[in-house]
Amino acid sequence: MSTMTAQATQVYQVFIKASPEQIWEAITRPEWTARYFHGARISVTPEHYLSLGPDDARWGDAEVFEFDPPRRLVHGWDSLYDPELAAEPTSRVTWEIEPQDGGYSLLTVTHDRLEQSPKTAASVSGTGWTMVVSGLKTLLETGEPLTA
Amino acid sequence: MVPPVDDDDLVFKALADPTRRHLLDRLYERDGRTLTELESELAMTRFGVMKHLRVLEDAGLVVTRREGREKLHFLNPVPIRLVHDRWISKYAEHRVAALADLKQELEESA
Repeated sequence: MSTMTAQATQVYQVFIKASPEQIWEAITRPEWTARYFHGARISVTPEHYLSLGPDDARWGDAEVFEFDPPRRLVHGWDSLYDPELAAEPTSRVTWEIEPQDGGYSLLTVTHDRLEQSPKTAASVSGTGWTMVVSGLKTLLETGEPLTA
Repeated sequence: MVPPVDDDDLVFKALADPTRRHLLDRLYERDGRTLTELESELAMTRFGVMKHLRVLEDAGLVVTRREGREKLHFLNPVPIRLVHDRWISKYAEHRVAALADLKQELEESA
């Protein structure tokens, strides 16, 4: 990943054989996120996004801008798990869930407003979001966390 | 958009062309580019580049977003990850990694 320049807008997309409601549940409730989101227990309410590490450390604590279950979630992003990243300005994460034919849904995760947060941009790119999104797909389709 | 549901074929076909791999490399360097920008780096007609981008889009490797009057192209690495998990890590990741490292070292020292 050495030649990668950090992108100010990053888009990750995947088809998942699951309903929008199942995906919504899996991205907003800690018992689900702990199984595919680097161990983070994430709780999302219409007011607040909270991400806790395994030791209850605050990994993320941000405002929720849009909360429209089961189709659209927009929240702030501060990488509190790393002091250097946490010092950068808040960026934004958008989850869009669109139902498709055959019991599939299309999930699109857009991480943007990273122009002033190059270290955060580099940290979440590459395997960061890719692992989260592919891990979520594997978990919902097989019931097993991704082994890697 | 037609869902390329679980279709590794589309990903492999999309990757089996040097121009399309070149387009992915350009987006990897800098994401969110317009057709005009991508076209300027290739000795190919606008129509030809559009056709290749369409194949990449159908495979889910490129996602487009409208921003004002512009259509921006973004690299989506997730399908490559899924193909990797399904076809590479399962069979030969350790050996492949060792050989890839060796190749890189030999070529850098050459």
